[in-house]
Amino acid sequence: MKVVIADGFHEADYIISLFNTKLNDLVVINEDEDVCRYLSSSNDIPVMKGRCTRASDLKEAGAENCDIFIALSEDDYKNYVACKTAKMLIGAKRCIAMVINPKNVQIFKELGIDSAVSATYLLGEQVRNLTSIENMVNSLSLEDEQIFIAEIRISEDLDVVGKTLREINVSELGTIASITRDGKTLIPNGHSIIEAGDKVLIVTTVENRDQIVSEFQRKK
Amino acid sequence: MENTNTIIIGAGRLGGTIARSLNKTANVVVVDRNKEKIGRLGDFSGFVAVGDATDRALLEKNGIKTAYRVIAVTDDDNTNIFLADLCTNIYHVPQVYVRLKDSRKRAIVDERVNCICPFDLSLTEFESARENEVKE
Repeated sequence: MKVVIADGFHEADYIISLFNTKLNDLVVINEDEDVCRYLSSSNDIPVMKGRCTRASDLKEAGAENCDIFIALSEDDYKNYVACKTAKMLIGAKRCIAMVINPKNVQIFKELGIDSAVSATYLLGEQVRNLTSIENMVNSLSLEDEQIFIAEIRISEDLDVVGKTLREINVSELGTIASITRDGKTLIPNGHSIIEAGDKVLIVTTVENRDQIVSEFQRKK
Repeated sequence: MENTNTIIIGAGRLGGTIARSLNKTANVVVVDRNKEKIGRLGDFSGFVAVGDATDRALLEKNGIKTAYRVIAVTDDDNTNIFLADLCTNIYHVPQVYVRLKDSRKRAIVDERVNCICPFDLSLTEFESARENEVKE
């Protein structure tokens, strides 16, 4: 996989360390000469000094037809233009822009950037998920927050304890993907009975999230 | 009545000059995040707003949804390109102008947007002056 990492400092260093394997063709371009030197020596790879918003520099670095283009500068609009340049002029298949302003996540996507990532935005999502559901162990939003996955701990006082999944009847709202009991993971069917102490993994859509979760939160 | 609503983003020399000249025939709002630049607009009698024009709330407060024309002339090409895309694709502003110091960036700007590239203009001017050189 050809991965291009444009600008950024510690962010770039970390992403390089994730992708720096024989399986990947890594292209690193950075505008700052000192950062180039640092990234090159700490990861033992070539780093090109150049502007990621300039198609000719990207071509010279060997970024053409990359599978993933990641723009990590501290300037949201530089990342926007770098991603558009990569997509429109050098044939990048997927572009990811890091953004500082969480409001730009949605706008960038609407304007054709495949993915925009903001640490603050992710933090906000995580806090919202954690605070909205009692007993929730873990949660994850996928596909632009369309798919919601949550792991819920079943306490004794809940209405679902002792019932089969068929009795609970939430199949139209989502899927119970697994039940973890005494350290073992079971793949449930309609006859499976929920017990106190279980951890239930729910896969659902964002629209059905609150409804299905409330079915599992109702007290006896 | 004809819609002449114009938002100028960037109160530098170009933005300021366009603002003063358009203000005779259009409803003009000038937006800049720099209060001092807004203060230096001189005898411009239209509306002004101090703030970040990439903030949609600020644009909406200043009439982006009913604007006929947006002129993005901040000193940053990347910001201007983003604003042009935002105004064209999300707010469907009929006439959008951007200034690009690096005219090569024209290649990624939507074709509905009017690009003003000082470099290209200088080159064109030079070429035409050269053609008219008096042959000795």
